[in-house]
Amino acid sequence: MRRSRRRGDDAQAVLETALVIPILLFLVCNFIALMVQVTVQEQLNSATALAAQSRFQAPESAVDAPGTRCCGVHGVMLITAGLPTGCRYAAETFYGTMTTYVGLLHWDTATLCTSGGDSGNAGNPPRQPVSYAGSPTDAEVSCDIGSITAAGIVVPGYVDRSLNPPSGLEVVTCSASASLDFANTPLAWGVFWTPTIHAQAEALPPPFRQ
Amino acid sequence: MGGEFEGVVRLRRTSHARGGQALLEFAVVLPLFLLCLIGALDAGLWAVQTSAEVSAVQQAAMIASSAGSSPVSETAPDARVVAAAISGRLRSALFGTAIESWCATDASGDCAPDTTQQCPSTPAQVQAADGPRVVVVCVSEADPPACTKPPPGQSAPWPIGCDDSPMITVRVIGFVASLVPPGFGPGARGFELPTDISATTHTLRFAP
Repeated sequence: MRRSRRRGDDAQAVLETALVIPILLFLVCNFIALMVQVTVQEQLNSATALAAQSRFQAPESAVDAPGTRCCGVHGVMLITAGLPTGCRYAAETFYGTMTTYVGLLHWDTATLCTSGGDSGNAGNPPRQPVSYAGSPTDAEVSCDIGSITAAGIVVPGYVDRSLNPPSGLEVVTCSASASLDFANTPLAWGVFWTPTIHAQAEALPPPFRQ
Repeated sequence: MGGEFEGVVRLRRTSHARGGQALLEFAVVLPLFLLCLIGALDAGLWAVQTSAEVSAVQQAAMIASSAGSSPVSETAPDARVVAAAISGRLRSALFGTAIESWCATDASGDCAPDTTQQCPSTPAQVQAADGPRVVVVCVSEADPPACTKPPPGQSAPWPIGCDDSPMITVRVIGFVASLVPPGFGPGARGFELPTDISATTHTLRFAP
């Protein structure tokens, strides 16, 4: 009788431990995963912001020569011949900055270089951004920029009318989206969600270009 | 009478055994609980520190991209200048961690102007050079190839990309102090967590 009570107590203790430890580990795993998500989001914000700003490091009318490629990071190779040089600069900056946690990310690919778009209003329906001819469609970052082609044709960029209303300002916008996958990490034991992270950044042209 | 005495002894033994069992359970659970608690705190702290590093590196890249020694500069800005510009922001987040600049030194021990300076490739390299709980700010510049006369059938500028502006990379790399006890932490030697955050951008360069 005594022995069976003792065994019962032991079994209860083992059961309690077996219940509590996985729950505790589950909570810790999810907390760490959340912290990783916050960090990756910060880095994506930073990479898109720098990408948008780097467009202005290139001459406005510069166009990539035939045979030009970027970016050579993580096996990414995009042909940018005929596209505005600022678009390649943006991509090089993005890939050069987004160097950590890339193994956890599944990217949503998009057109590297688009033009047009208008934040607009009801009386002025927004135009949709259109791809530059020959722009790669499998890039991890997409930038909406304007330029002047070699032939002198002005390609309008995205007009944000919330800035300097009512005429607005032509700004560069870069965006990127990815889902965070913990499947190949030790956290996969307790993390069953794959959050999608998205970043979008606008950069204003410097005053001498406005 | 004898039966009552035996009963009291049995009760005391049972009570002692239960107390011992509770103590044992407590001794087993407490380290686990503390490990989880400190680990969670550490993860939160790491996220805050990494966020601070990401924003500092972004700011540093913007500074470095427009802080060449001249508008046509082809040498990387002095890493100490860039490190000084962001060290305040880093210090407020990386407590317990020293922040230094990584550069080639000249005879007097100052940062030498060196176009070939290389950033450390791993946090362990920083630890080997500067000791534990140190992160370094490193600035490196990648210059495009010099333009040459294009071969027949090719158009200028040649080679492709020779007229690009140089690329600046700012990197914060090393080991930051951690709360997790030695031997349990994911850092190389406990007490430390590896960090390696970088930002790359083209420099702002005006035509000569």
